[in-house]
Amino acid sequence: MLRFDTPGAGGFADLFAEKPINYDRLPMPTPYPNVPGTRVVDTHGTTVIAVKYKDGLINVADRRATAGYAVMYDQAEKVLALDEFTLISISGSFAKSVEVVRYLRHAFKYFERSQLQPMSQDGKLMELQRVIANNVPAALQGIGAFIPVLSTYDRETNQGRIYFYDVLGGQFETAEYGAAGSGSAPIKGAFEYILKTKGPFREMDRETALRETLTLLDIAADLDTATGGSAKFLPAAKYITADGIRDFSEAEIKAALGR
Amino acid sequence: MPSNSPYDWNESIQQRNEYIEDRLKDGSPVVALTYDGGLLLLSARQTQRKIYEIYDKLMFSAIGNQSDVEQIRVAAIDVAHAEGFQRSPDDVSVQRLVSFRLSPAIKKIYSDPFAQPVVLKGIFAEMGKTPDRDRLMLLSYDGEFSTTPDHAVVAGTAYAEDRMREHLKSETEAGTPTLEAGLRAALYAWGVGMKHLESEDRADADYSTDGEGPKDVTAFIKEHLGKGWIVEAGVLERDTTRESRFRLLSDSELTQTTSRYL
Repeated sequence: MLRFDTPGAGGFADLFAEKPINYDRLPMPTPYPNVPGTRVVDTHGTTVIAVKYKDGLINVADRRATAGYAVMYDQAEKVLALDEFTLISISGSFAKSVEVVRYLRHAFKYFERSQLQPMSQDGKLMELQRVIANNVPAALQGIGAFIPVLSTYDRETNQGRIYFYDVLGGQFETAEYGAAGSGSAPIKGAFEYILKTKGPFREMDRETALRETLTLLDIAADLDTATGGSAKFLPAAKYITADGIRDFSEAEIKAALGR
Repeated sequence: MPSNSPYDWNESIQQRNEYIEDRLKDGSPVVALTYDGGLLLLSARQTQRKIYEIYDKLMFSAIGNQSDVEQIRVAAIDVAHAEGFQRSPDDVSVQRLVSFRLSPAIKKIYSDPFAQPVVLKGIFAEMGKTPDRDRLMLLSYDGEFSTTPDHAVVAGTAYAEDRMREHLKSETEAGTPTLEAGLRAALYAWGVGMKHLESEDRADADYSTDGEGPKDVTAFIKEHLGKGWIVEAGVLERDTTRESRFRLLSDSELTQTTSRYL
């Protein structure tokens, strides 16, 4: 019933404090057929990339979801909006990630609507760190680990910021680019090569930065089985500027891929 | 229990109503209407903000004690977010929120002779996928609620509400207005309602429509804006690329409407 006695403090999770959600009872899709002898493997591999460019930030991601050696899905959406100026690109357990994104979106909106002021940038980052830290037991069991890259446009200072995380919720800010997923390690050197030969991403215009990131994604797809290529379905690509989040059009993505 | 007989019960309800109505009657009226791009809520205020976002496609405004308005607002936000997270945002509807959650709780408080009643008359405005699925719900201090299409108002007296509705009805007869036309009609209706509220305070209030001429109402609104009253308008936009469908209109968006009264 209505909580007429407690003044709202803006904590979305508090709503469930008295009646916690029993996750065990939520129907979750079985990621792999339960054939005897088959190990159930969570969907895992991917490549997500975030870079700064002249007017903001770009996020791209492949669209493959895998479970072990099986390709589960070729149209997964891994670049998701948390609010009008924040994108989260997810790697790791897809089910867990989607749930976390749903939670964070509600938590941010709940705070803003009930407290009549938006949650601060730091407050939002702290909320994400807490969620990742709370997920450590699941990560240690080998199920439900997820590691995001967060891109947010800071309207106070008019610049983009990129954060990446370790599995314990440790947060690191990066100056140029962030990447996560199984395909991110093989292309690490390529990032550095671009920085040394073509200059920083944050000085590139949008078209150039998109072309470079999609090329990196393409290399990741070549080197990593769990990262999907762009032949069947175009990769996901979004950008953030002072005006908010926009999708790259299909034509822009195709042009950047040289088609 | 103080109500030993039907007479006592009647008496206590009567007194409660008088107490509540007395506190409501000075409230600045609120107007809700459908315009061609979504839904609009408009009121005018002196200091305290009056129009609030509840959920993705739901907004709220009310007259009453600020502390009560605040409690109902937060309760509505709690219920909507818990439901939207656990089930789906599509399952958050004004109908479920008001009739199953808010109304019973308010009714319970109202019926308890020892409880401080909720002094509030509010409008919940829900934007549907199409204009004909927009839904405006009125919720009152006794838990009573009703649904109206196209437009809705709350004001301190039933008479003022009647007069406001009359004006809105004639304004929207020609079809769904544009935002500009909707704002104009809503502000004018606010003036009509507010003017009646103030004149009803006088002993010689005549309950006629005489003072509703465009000149009188215009002068009345002009006087209030001149005294520092601020027009506040919130919209839910049906077609927008923005993350939030709700927003408060900025001063510059309201100038065209308010400049008529400068």
